Amino acid sequence: MPEEKNDKELLRRYHERGDTEARERLIEQYLPLVRSLARRYSYRGEQLEDLVQVGCIGLIKAIDRFDIDRGVELTTYATPNIIGEIKRHFRDKGWSIRVPRGLQELNVRLSHLLEELTVQLERSPTIPELAKAAGVDEEDVLEALESGQAYATLSLSAPGGGDDDSDLDPLESLGTLEHEYEVSEDRAVLAPGLAALDERERRILHLRFFEGLTQSQIAQQIGISQMHVSRLIRRSLEKMRDEIVTEEEPRRASESRR
Amino acid sequence: MTGPIELRIPNERPYHGVVRLVVGGLAARHDLSYEMLEDLQLALVTVLESDTYTAGAEVVVELEVSDGAIALCVGPLHGDTVREELGSADGDALGLGRLLGTLVEDARVETRDDGEWLRLAKQVRGVKPARAANA
Repeated sequence: MPEEKNDKELLRRYHERGDTEARERLIEQYLPLVRSLARRYSYRGEQLEDLVQVGCIGLIKAIDRFDIDRGVELTTYATPNIIGEIKRHFRDKGWSIRVPRGLQELNVRLSHLLEELTVQLERSPTIPELAKAAGVDEEDVLEALESGQAYATLSLSAPGGGDDDSDLDPLESLGTLEHEYEVSEDRAVLAPGLAALDERERRILHLRFFEGLTQSQIAQQIGISQMHVSRLIRRSLEKMRDEIVTEEEPRRASESRR
Repeated sequence: MTGPIELRIPNERPYHGVVRLVVGGLAARHDLSYEMLEDLQLALVTVLESDTYTAGAEVVVELEVSDGAIALCVGPLHGDTVREELGSADGDALGLGRLLGTLVEDARVETRDDGEWLRLAKQVRGVKPARAANA
């Protein structure tokens, strides 16, 4: 294939002659692969673009370490490197405080089980049902759910939108209802603290507290997991509280000076 | 259950996790669904995390199951803030009243000897039996 030949040529130019322009061209060529792999993990609470950045580190490492005499294709070698880098990112940086690996893994497993059981039972499962499905004690489930509070949804404060890629992940895009929503949620925007939230966060709060949708209904509508909806609601309310305090602090200070 | 579980905690974020776990333990024993548990925990933490609502550095949380509901009482409260906010639940603002009105079935202020307390109650509905596929 001409592309493969082109890859080999670029790799040779970079590895044998130190041609950094060849390296940059390789990175550009393999960016769609990084994006496609990052998309697989974007449901876990991070923005796609952040994961693409992390995946690029894996790609660059793969290009730098690639042995042109081994006879494998760069795609074959780069894919596990990119996935490995993304997984390491979740493992090392996704948790704001030190949470034992076992609890992190159980939390992720519970997130999947929650989705499955909700569909299977046609209602939200109980803690004993989650424990049974996960093969652990109820206390372990509670502890793992609690440990999820420590999960740092690092990109939640990033402003929504701004990605003009037409092939967006459901997590990234609010879909065609966006405009309709903008109109309907006007009144909610007036509430104190809501200005601190991005569009997705405002939408989720609107659906939960003004439209009365449950977490699972919101998850279904937006295309993210129930547990992610829960995290976004908690985080959004925290941001609102912080914003209100920030707004009120100067006023309180000036009142106390009088 | 014979009486309420009483937790007396410093009103600081790390201790809110302790209360959440106790609420979770109680919910697990009464077949409360994950979503209902989440609602209850969020309602409680919303009150605890705002120092506008509670008086002092220490707060008491009582948990009780009675009359088919899990009830959480938080107190003592700070001034009339909670009472006023509960009264504005139907407004456009996303304030305490609207939040609690969505998250629990009953949110009310009770007067006790040591001041006012907030009572949050969520019905423990009979959970629909699992379908044969899950049996």
